[in-house]
Amino acid sequence: MTLASAARLGVDPHRDLTDYDPEADLMVLNMGPQHPSTHGVFRVKLYLDGETIVRAVPYVGYLHRGVEKLLEELTFVQATPIVDKNDYVSPMTNEQAINMAFEALLEVEVPRRARYMRTLFAEMSRISSHLLWLATFGIDMGGALGGGTTLFLHCFRERESILDLFELVTGARFHYNTHTIGGNRHDIPAGWAKRVHQALDLIASRVDEYLDLSTKNAIFVARTRGVGTLPAKLALELGITGPILRASGVDHDLRRDAPFHAYDEIDVKVQTEQAGDCLARAHVRIRELSESIRLSKLLVDGLPEGPICGGRPIKNPTQFKAKDGQAYVALETPRGELGTYVIGGGGNKGASPYRLKIRPPSLHALAAMPYLLVGGTISDAVVILGSLDPIMGEADR
Amino acid sequence: MNAIHPIVLHGLIYGGAIATVLLTLTAWGIWFERKFAGRMQSRLGPTLVGWVGLLQPLADAAKLLQKEDLIPDQADRTLYLASPPLTVFFTLATVAVIPFSVDVAVANLPIGVLWILALGGLMVFPVWTAGWASANKYALLGGMRAVAQGISYEIPMVLSALVPVIFAGSMDVNEIVTWQAEHHWLVLGPGLFAFVIFFVSSLAEANRIPFDIPEAESELVAGVTTEYSGMRFGLFYMAEYLHTLVASAVASALFLGGWNGLFGLADGIHWMLAKTLALFFMITWVRWSLVRFRSDQLMRLCWIYLVPMSLALVMVSALWVYYEPMLGGH
Amino acid sequence: MGYFIDAARSMARSMRTVFRKPTTIQYPAEKRDQGPRARLTFALVHDEHGEEACVGCLMCEKICPSRVITVTAGDKRPSEVTGKKRGFADDFVLDMNACIYCELCVQVCPTDAIVMTQDHMVPGFSREDLVLTMDKLYANETETTLSWGRASNLLEMQDPKRGTEEDRAATKQRAGAKPAEAEAAKPAAKPVKPAKAAKAEAPEAVVAEPAKVEAAEPAKTEAAQAEASEAKPEAK
Repeated sequence: MTLASAARLGVDPHRDLTDYDPEADLMVLNMGPQHPSTHGVFRVKLYLDGETIVRAVPYVGYLHRGVEKLLEELTFVQATPIVDKNDYVSPMTNEQAINMAFEALLEVEVPRRARYMRTLFAEMSRISSHLLWLATFGIDMGGALGGGTTLFLHCFRERESILDLFELVTGARFHYNTHTIGGNRHDIPAGWAKRVHQALDLIASRVDEYLDLSTKNAIFVARTRGVGTLPAKLALELGITGPILRASGVDHDLRRDAPFHAYDEIDVKVQTEQAGDCLARAHVRIRELSESIRLSKLLVDGLPEGPICGGRPIKNPTQFKAKDGQAYVALETPRGELGTYVIGGGGNKGASPYRLKIRPPSLHALAAMPYLLVGGTISDAVVILGSLDPIMGEADR
Repeated sequence: MNAIHPIVLHGLIYGGAIATVLLTLTAWGIWFERKFAGRMQSRLGPTLVGWVGLLQPLADAAKLLQKEDLIPDQADRTLYLASPPLTVFFTLATVAVIPFSVDVAVANLPIGVLWILALGGLMVFPVWTAGWASANKYALLGGMRAVAQGISYEIPMVLSALVPVIFAGSMDVNEIVTWQAEHHWLVLGPGLFAFVIFFVSSLAEANRIPFDIPEAESELVAGVTTEYSGMRFGLFYMAEYLHTLVASAVASALFLGGWNGLFGLADGIHWMLAKTLALFFMITWVRWSLVRFRSDQLMRLCWIYLVPMSLALVMVSALWVYYEPMLGGH
Repeated sequence: MGYFIDAARSMARSMRTVFRKPTTIQYPAEKRDQGPRARLTFALVHDEHGEEACVGCLMCEKICPSRVITVTAGDKRPSEVTGKKRGFADDFVLDMNACIYCELCVQVCPTDAIVMTQDHMVPGFSREDLVLTMDKLYANETETTLSWGRASNLLEMQDPKRGTEEDRAATKQRAGAKPAEAEAAKPAAKPVKPAKAAKAEAPEAVVAEPAKVEAAEPAKTEAAQAEASEAKPEAK
């Protein structure tokens, strides 16, 4: 179903069925907010005819925490640790996004070393995010007690090495608060580059193992080939970006097309596939993982010397003020285009933003659910949701 | 004592002993599975309860016993309460005809194979009624899938179990094992494909990955057992492992020569146990390495591949047995 | 069929993992190597005179995004050691139930009074157990291993005037230069060596680190940054 055909049928796939045809004998099954496989708290109401899904209605908002409103009360320097928790699987890109937006608003320049460090952290974050995606995808397919968990634990083992690397730099394994307005707060300790190479080499050697347990496995392929095909036109209409769009054949990657930070100095090979089904998305993400390993190695070898922070270091919550002005900054996270739109001139005499809007890629990906789920079974629903890789923290904020 | 018929006495004593041994094996089979699964996943399994976690099954049982006994308000009480014990009952009853050593069986039925297959078929009922009686859509879906899968995979199981029957010329399991002791293990000869099909069908009957759609946690929360808590859930859990062990025992008896020893070593119960545990190990290994099939792919596999193959195997075995003497066989 | 071969391959892969050493670290018998910058719980420290370093300026309370710090500032009175008038904190409460471990309080402290530690917080049975009172925080100074990160170290690391002259010139040029010129102005990549001395000094820094009683102005750190970063600890 495309938007056009849905319009022709007079059907809005996002609205609930208020009355249904009792002759059709549909069963309503609520894949509710608590569920072992929905990534985060996400609810989708399925209308089933036997085991076939006739209609799917997604409900979001179970993890809404009022982040954008909270950030109107907090000041610019306090925003980073809050925004960390949006896309909680790749926190570095969240921090980078919001600080880039603030730097654009406040016209603060980022020194070269900080730009490289941010790009490096973003690429390593991409590796860890894709590893986590593969792990949870395995669980969706193979069960919490079974072969999927084996894949899950293998991927997490490698992800731990990346988290350990971040811990050496920032002190925290997961929510770092290491980006600041004008650059970064923590610099790289001695001997870190060598450890990065060791960890990345290990992951690169283990990618083959993951492939054995996933895309080279006939059962995995049978579960994902032809399932949840997303036509490129529909993806573009819904505003989907990232690996999902690239798997549907559209060659678009912000790292190459609208480069920011150190991406204009390195060459990003964008991975695309044509099929647009779950298997294509899996291929794209795994290839992106390998590509990110290559990029991280380049970046960590080529780190320039210099200061890591171009603005004043944080000493005072209200030290950055913006009377007015707007900025929109978009960057490429593991899920797609994360956009941050900030309007200056808010409370605390301009030390808070007037309005901060975050454009989450996961929300747009979830918008495709009603189109993709129709005609499949519940097993397909789980696989499709896994392949879209939504993170409810950023979809709901 | 003389009021009890000797066969009944024999059955009670042997049955009690074998049931006890099997249930103990189940409990420590669970321990082994958790340790082995942990090692396959680069972690340790249970370590804290007892040395290397050997007392973990006891801890699990104690935990399950002290949980709140919930019965959903709209559940069909009789079926809900009856389903967990029935699963264990049918599984254990299957063991009655399996010879664990020379003439050591609870009952030497001349229709042993039929008994096994019939009770295996009855196993589908308690799973189905558990799904229905739970008054929960997830459980209902799980139950329906279990029925579809269970009855479909019975056919290749029955047909492949016919191959030892044809070769041995009898449905008495003890006679099949004796035939294998005298001639050769069926798996080492023409029975290899039949063994593979029987193994795969047993995996499907036992709802084990890659065929565990009825209890697929990531899709159906807990499938059939969603509404069960405490020891009722414990019974389902135990029945699943017990079914695995029993299927391994049946396959060892029918295809791997039962209590017959290798390389001329002494026959005995140790061989039977070794083969059963070896198959249990294989099943565990398969479970923790593969992802699951979708239900329609599962059905395809059964009806389009396994059923014709097993039919063909039955015909080939019959022809083999018929023509072998003429071709100067053993 | 393809299913069997791939199944066999997956199974072989799982079996190979059985023979590797498991990656489990059995806490609390074994502890993970967390690095010296770990941020796990908090401690309040004494300054080089042995007096409480906290002057009750309430900067940490103002900057905390979760508002978990409550400081009661005391009257300004003369210090018992130096005789100069300085501020004191009468009470300091940090509620770990809501702390998000962002390290901002450490960043803004003018006297390096609040630092994070490398050891985990002791878990408790009630919410009250997780509220760090002033005596618990001062006890943590000696009972736990303090982290490397404290205000002066962090500020030094983040100083925008850090780095070589060449770099600063190149950055300025790059900001306004045409692409071709910016290419020529790019400095060659050099191996990483910042903060090495600070990392090496970290174990001793727990005891010997002289906390500054006055505010750490950028001018002070700039003076220290005139030489290479190795000279940093002595320059204080």
